Formats: sequence, structure tokens, C-alpha cells
Amino acid sequence: MPVFRWGNALDAIRDLEREMDRWLRSVNFTVEGIRAGRAYPPVNIYELDDEFLLTAELPGARKEDIELTVSGGAVTLRGSRSNQGDVPEERFRRSERPRGVWERTFTLPARVLEDGLDAELMNGVLRLHLPKAPTQQPRRIPVVERSESPAKPETTGQEEQSQ
Amino acid sequence: MSNGDRPQSESAAAEVPARGTGEAPPRWFCSPPIDIFDTEEGLVLRADLPGVTDDQLELQIEDNRLTLLGKVAPPVAEEAQMIYQEYRVGDFLRSFILSDDIDHDRITAKLSDGVLEVTLPRAATTKPRRIQIRTE
Repeated sequence: MPVFRWGNALDAIRDLEREMDRWLRSVNFTVEGIRAGRAYPPVNIYELDDEFLLTAELPGARKEDIELTVSGGAVTLRGSRSNQGDVPEERFRRSERPRGVWERTFTLPARVLEDGLDAELMNGVLRLHLPKAPTQQPRRIPVVERSESPAKPETTGQEEQSQ
Repeated sequence: MSNGDRPQSESAAAEVPARGTGEAPPRWFCSPPIDIFDTEEGLVLRADLPGVTDDQLELQIEDNRLTLLGKVAPPVAEEAQMIYQEYRVGDFLRSFILSDDIDHDRITAKLSDGVLEVTLPRAATTKPRRIQIRTE
């Protein structure tokens, strides 16, 4: 009969990990409760024909946990995440999932219609649609010909100076 | 993905390096962050799997190994151009070695809002075991 089992030896590692987790959490407490290292939530931005699409990974988030605001050409996402529930701290063997208060702000590209922002949350992924302003037609700059002056301006592109 | 040619490794509490074996194109797998906590009845494991739906999640128990694989559909059409990236979109894969006192038949799981919760009840018959000491 084996006296040692690997499982027992590995328990020590698990204890160590648990201690490390706890220690890390206390160290990073200053960073609004979310572990340092990477911004939370992670965000990707895509460009499509008629919109920009911002996606953010927010597992466990419900609609009411997220607040989105737009002002001054920037969109702010904020919320809080508590995934501990009423489970006492000492019961955790592992705690890798980020928790705490988070906030992120992104400057909007100039071509976005601020009033048209629209967001959906599905399976822990937030999708924020940033519709592009209707593409401006290339603007024609009129060239006025003056009969008095013999030398015509050659270049278009420049603004006409009146007087 | 229920093929049997899984890597035959090992490890602490207890993870097996994420690896796609036997799949044709090399795939990118993310290792999802997890919490594990004790309850009166056993253990509860929670994993962050944003973007995974029930029908795209596979939980498999093979011997003592619990493997979770969550597939994530691409968030946008292929022609969309990524202009800023902080995370990679990929499938989630992580394996755990279950301890012997877990009752495999009563393991249950649910997925909501991109979070998987697996309940791992302890077998009722777990009693303190006596280890015999042999003398030569």
C-alpha cells in the first residue's frame, strides 16, 4: 500500500498558491480592487463600413452592473464586479477572476455620431456600436474667375479670398 | 472535441497546459481565470468564459480529469478591421485533476452571462482514512 500519494504532496502547492493569491490581492488593493497587470475589462475596437465596434469582455456582468456615459467626445464605461457573493474569503482555494470597481474611458474618433451610440450585452461580452457620421462628400471649392485680372489662379484646393 | 488523444500530463491543483491536439489548424486557446471555493457539500469552480454559449461549451470528465472547452464565435464579420486590440478572441480551454473524493456522477454545471459554474460534490463516503504502517 502506498504511503504517499501525489495528491497529498500537491496540497502543499495549492496552499502556497492560495497564500500567494491572498497576498497579491492585498498588494493590489490600491488599484481599485482589480488586479494590476492589465486593464479591466479588456477591449477591442473594430472598424466596419458604417460604424466602429467596441467589444469588452465582461463575464458575469448584467445590464444593471454597467454604466455607459458619453461626453466631450469620450465614452466612459464603468461598473463593479463582485464575484465573491457571500462566500467567506477563507473558503477560496483559488481566486483568479478579477473583482472590484472598474472604469475605462475612450476618446471617440471624430467621425462618430455621439447621439447614435448603442450597446448590447450578451454572454458576458459588451458590444458598443459607434455609428460613423455620414461620409462627407468631397467638397468642391468653387474657383471664381475674375475677368479683370489677367493672371488666373492655377491651383484649386485653396480657399478663395474675397477682396 | 471528444477525441481521446489528450496530453497525458499532470499537475498541481491541477492544470494541464492548454493544447489543441488532433485539430487540423493550430488554434489559439485562452486559459480562463477561475475561482474555486469550498462549500459544505464540496467544491464550486467558476470560470470566466465571455462569449461562450451553452451549445458551444463542452465539459468532459475522463478518469480524474475535468476538461472545459468553450468555443467563441468571432465577434464580427471577417471583413471588419481590427484597429485596437487588448484581448485575443479564441476558444477557452483548461483542465483540472479532480481529487478522488469528488463524486463524478453528481457533478453539475451551469453557464450564465459568460460565467461557468461547476458544482463538484464530495462523495458521501469520504471518511478519514487510516494509513497502515508496515514494519519490516
